[in-house]
Amino acid sequence: MRRTVGALAATLAMMLTVCGSGGGTAEGGQTGGQTGGPDRADTLTIAISSDEGTLTPFTNETGYPGNNLVKLIFDPLATLQGEDVVPLLAENIETTDNQTYTIALREGVKWQDGQPFTADDVLFSVDFYRANMLGDSAIDVRPIKDVTADGNTVTMTLNGPDPEFPRRILTDMAILPDHLWKSVDDVSKAGTELAVGTGPYKLTQYNPDRGYTFEANADYAMGKPKVQTIKVVVIPEESAQFAALRTGEIDMSTRIVPPQQMEALGNQSGIGLIDGTEFASTIMLFNTERPPFDRVEVRQALAKAINVQDVVDTALLGQGVPGSAGFIHPESPVGGKVIKSAYDVDAANAELDALGAARGADGIRVLDGKPMSFELLVQSSSTDRLRSAELIREMLDAVGVAVKISSLDPDAVTAKVWPDYDVKNGRNYDMSMWGWSGPVMLSSGTIAQLLYSDPADGTLNVVGYKDDAVDATLDQLTSAPTLEERTGVASKLQDQIAEAMPWVTLYYRNGAYAFREDTYDGWTWQNFKGALNNFSFVDYNL
Amino acid sequence: MTDVQETLPGSTLGRRGSWSYFAGRGLEYALVLAVALTLNFALPRALPGGPMKLFGNPEALARLTAEERAQIASEYGFGQPLWQQFLDYLQGVFTLDLGTSLADGRPVTEAIATALPWTLLLVGTSIVITALLGVSLGVLGGLRRREGKGAGLLAGAIALDSIPQFWLGMLLIVFFGVKLQVLPTFGVSDAGVVTIGGVAEHLILPVVTLTVTGIGYLFMYTRSSLLAVLTSQPVEHAHARGVPRGRLVRRHVLRPALLPVHTILMLDIGFLAAGSIVVETVFAYPGLGRLTFDAIAARDYPLMQGTFLVLTVMVVLMNALADLTYPLLDPRARTGGSR
Repeated sequence: MRRTVGALAATLAMMLTVCGSGGGTAEGGQTGGQTGGPDRADTLTIAISSDEGTLTPFTNETGYPGNNLVKLIFDPLATLQGEDVVPLLAENIETTDNQTYTIALREGVKWQDGQPFTADDVLFSVDFYRANMLGDSAIDVRPIKDVTADGNTVTMTLNGPDPEFPRRILTDMAILPDHLWKSVDDVSKAGTELAVGTGPYKLTQYNPDRGYTFEANADYAMGKPKVQTIKVVVIPEESAQFAALRTGEIDMSTRIVPPQQMEALGNQSGIGLIDGTEFASTIMLFNTERPPFDRVEVRQALAKAINVQDVVDTALLGQGVPGSAGFIHPESPVGGKVIKSAYDVDAANAELDALGAARGADGIRVLDGKPMSFELLVQSSSTDRLRSAELIREMLDAVGVAVKISSLDPDAVTAKVWPDYDVKNGRNYDMSMWGWSGPVMLSSGTIAQLLYSDPADGTLNVVGYKDDAVDATLDQLTSAPTLEERTGVASKLQDQIAEAMPWVTLYYRNGAYAFREDTYDGWTWQNFKGALNNFSFVDYNL
Repeated sequence: MTDVQETLPGSTLGRRGSWSYFAGRGLEYALVLAVALTLNFALPRALPGGPMKLFGNPEALARLTAEERAQIASEYGFGQPLWQQFLDYLQGVFTLDLGTSLADGRPVTEAIATALPWTLLLVGTSIVITALLGVSLGVLGGLRRREGKGAGLLAGAIALDSIPQFWLGMLLIVFFGVKLQVLPTFGVSDAGVVTIGGVAEHLILPVVTLTVTGIGYLFMYTRSSLLAVLTSQPVEHAHARGVPRGRLVRRHVLRPALLPVHTILMLDIGFLAAGSIVVETVFAYPGLGRLTFDAIAARDYPLMQGTFLVLTVMVVLMNALADLTYPLLDPRARTGGSR
């Protein structure tokens, strides 16, 4: 039976969390205009925190907001609208077996320099990404075994069935113009002359010191831009960004509003907030290769001492969702579910007692002849994590486990937890505050990388966890040919994670962004992207 | 005054002769530069982490094979043996080819050439105002040290000297930008348009921050220098001879008192470029300070080396300039201290 991707995605559609917080707040998952401001604008000024390079898929510096800006210029074949995969440069995407995808391309689309968009551009893009995997928005196209074109129809054959392929790759792979990129040898030096896509906005000005100017693409085939000119300026300091928003010098800040500023900003006249579900996770890692964290009983006992609801209420002032013990976000399209934290101080004490970890004279337990006193690494740049670490220290102290918090530069933490981003290099920590970005929750493949024992497959296994039973589940998860089957396996995996506790999932912080509602109120929330996404700037006719 | 004078750079001129003096000083500066160049190379590499994160998001980097990692490191110059990197770096310094930024592929010299004028404008404006106000108030505070005004100035200077730049910058942004809405709070001009008026307007808050936080130190230095001269023997004698106070101050106090202030001011100019990192970051000012901050955050080795080099050279250059100009201001230095 032939199924369209839209139908596949519809089976995944979920209710979006609505996190409105009073006057001046737009609600996640809905289009803008709720606060009564204009939904059209001549010029918008948006602040980012650092320069994002020349905004080609190989030269943007960050996933957020860099990749979001790249997608203003470059269109992929499909896009996520809410939770649905919707064809964009494609007219239609079909598959019978989740392994061969037939993609009919949209007619009459032009590149921003006036050249016609053709199937050759798609073939070229796949080949180009295969040869050039470096870059923040570069795509790993290795799952694509073969790609061919017949007229205006492209066929992509995968190495094996992958029902997540449209969402994971087709919605993210920016299509490149063959005629401009075929002579590029070194992608790291791609300049703004190559920042030409089919997207709704043209990059017309870039100055590393002063930012970017985008102009609406009048010939855009898939919709009508709602803002004529978008200016993007760089303001490194968080408080300076919010100050500029208050003065009206900028119309939107790409920084997440800190919990302690939510009320003050939300109550200010002319400023609106848009918030919704973010999939980024904050977790506390155990180094499972280092005693006593190599013992599951120890990890379980310590996890029971941590009250994640309290962490959310105190560190985030309630602006987040308590972590599911199974790690996967309950709204993740991979099939997340809620597994409540097993917080129980009495049980934690009883389990530590049962392990023979008696309290010493100083109140600190001693296990296997060594005091249960550990270092907890935390990134000094994150107020939320610093507060969370302080709370965890108190919570573990209550069960006789001493924690020394080491607040370090984020790179210094990474160098200890994930040296050179290569798990084969080992790790040097007891416990560490950590976080995975939202897209990790987007695909089974990435989640599997967090736990596979073999470093070649478990490229994100920063805890050094090894378990044959979990490996078997991961094999099932990544090879299941349908979404329904993958959801079932994901449920089993979450039970295993909640049992093995290689880390404690603390929370998923809510996203909240502030904007000048008196100048523009067309902001739209998009899961995985927040408010800075194409639907905030374009009336699509998909 | 004697303590200060004995350490002045020009005071040894007569003992060695001018040529040997300049050769000696030249050697000293060469040695300082050599040490600084070595540190500029070593410090970036001593930081935890490395530039690999510039080549993709962490999840993508994690998938790279050892060969692919080695290829990137080798291609971009940070995978070669350290001695080789050091030699390449030294060669680049002497040929003024500082390499390209790992973050955006720009030549480092181009990035610095774009940022430096903004810093010079910011620091230059600030140093002129700081010097005028700091020295004038320092003289006033020294001359009226026994009056309430002098004591008040001293207390004020100590307070200003202890204000953190970040805190003051944010305070000014909130008051003049958010509350009064009379001054812009970031950047060098309105987005996309550079005008003289816009640049001047955007300069005000960062200059005020640098000036206010820099003035206290200069005030106190001038004041203490002035007090040292006022209580020195020649001035006491002149006073005893009945030289009128106005003439005494103009002829016998101000000039010697301001000599060390000149030296400290020159050094300040060199250090201010580095000291503007905080101010440039708070006000999103695209100068050398922010470039340095961004380079450190990104672990962009070539850009870090380049910006460190410029900051080092500025300090050494200003030091040398203070050395060279001192004899012009102090006749004793020209004659080796003999009268």
